Amino acid sequence: MNAALLYLLLLKATLTSFSGLSSLPIVRDELVVQYGVLTDSQLNAAVALARAAPGPFGGYVISVGYFVGGIAGGIAGWLALITPALLAIPLVHYFARSTAHPRARSVVNAVVIASAALILVATVPIAAQALGSATLIVIAGASTLVLAATGVETAWVIAAAAATGIVGAWFGAAL
Amino acid sequence: MSRKLSIADLARVFLRNGTFTFGGGDATTASLQRELVANRSWLSEHEFGACFAVSRVTPGTNLLAFSTAVGWTLLGLRGALWALLLASIPGAVLLMLMTGFYDAATSNPWLASAIHAALAAAVGIMLAAVWTLLRRPLRRNPVRTMLVAVPALALSLYGLLSPLEVLALAAGFGLVAPEREAA
Repeated sequence: MNAALLYLLLLKATLTSFSGLSSLPIVRDELVVQYGVLTDSQLNAAVALARAAPGPFGGYVISVGYFVGGIAGGIAGWLALITPALLAIPLVHYFARSTAHPRARSVVNAVVIASAALILVATVPIAAQALGSATLIVIAGASTLVLAATGVETAWVIAAAAATGIVGAWFGAAL
Repeated sequence: MSRKLSIADLARVFLRNGTFTFGGGDATTASLQRELVANRSWLSEHEFGACFAVSRVTPGTNLLAFSTAVGWTLLGLRGALWALLLASIPGAVLLMLMTGFYDAATSNPWLASAIHAALAAAVGIMLAAVWTLLRRPLRRNPVRTMLVAVPALALSLYGLLSPLEVLALAAGFGLVAPEREAA
C-alpha cells in the first residue's frame, strides 16, 4: 500500500473520531478487514506502543502506519494524526462561542458515547488474539481495574505488565 | 492580557511537554494548563477554557487540537503550526523507533514474553478507555447514554452499520435530541 493511500485511510479514521482510540474501529475496518495489510496483533501492538510512549494515545496511528509501510507509513500516520488539528484554527478564531452551544455539545457527547461502544466492539477480536493464556487474561483484567480505578499512568501499567512477562519467562512460564 | 513571548518561548514549553509527559492527552493538557495559565500567565482562564472547548469539538486528537488552538491564541498562524509540530514530533519519532524495535524484539524470548504481557495490558487499556469515556455520561444522564451506547454496540457488533455510519447516527441523535443542560 502506498503512503498516500495509507494517509487518506488513516485520515478518514482520525477525521471522524473525537478522542484517542475512537478512531480504532475505522482503522481496523479499513486496514485489517478491507485491505488486509495489518493484523489484529499489530494493531494491538500499536495501541500498547502508543500508550507506553509520551504524547497522545491517538498516536497509535503512527505505529499502525509504520507496521503497514515502514518509515514512509509512519510519516503518513503522523500526518493523519496532525491534519485534523488544523481545523481548530478556524474553530477557535470564529466559533469559540458557539462550541458552548448546548446542541453542539449534545452532538459531541453522543459521538463520544458511540465511540466507547465502537471501541468495545473493536476490543473483542483483539482480546481473542492477545489473551492466549490464563496469565495474560489476569494481566488484562488487572490492568483494566488499575486504570479504571486509579490515576496511575498507563506507561507504568505497561511497564509492570512487561516486567511480569520477563519474570514469567525467567521461571519458564509460557505467556 | 499583555504577553511578550516568542516562538522560541512557545517551542520550549511544547517541546518539553510533547517529549516528557506520559499518560496521554489529558495528562499533557493538565501539564500545559499549569505551564501556560498558572506558572507563566500566558493564557487567561477564559482563553484556556475556549481552547479546551474547541479541542473537544475538533475531530481527531484532543491534545493536538488544544495545542494548535493555544498556539493560534498566543502567536497566530505561526504559533498554531509550531505548537502542533512540537507537540507531536518528539512522540512520533520515539514511537516509530519503538515500533521498529518491536519487530526485532519479537525474536527474543524474554522480550517476546514482555511484549505479550504488554499487549494483554493494552486490552485492559482499551477496556478502561471505554469506561473512562462512558463514566461521566452515565453519571450525567444514564438513560440517554444507554439510548446511544446500546444501539451503537448492537449495530456495530452485528455488522449492520460501519463504524463511520454508527458515529454519524449518534451525531444525528445528538443534533435532533439535544441534551438537557443541568440547572
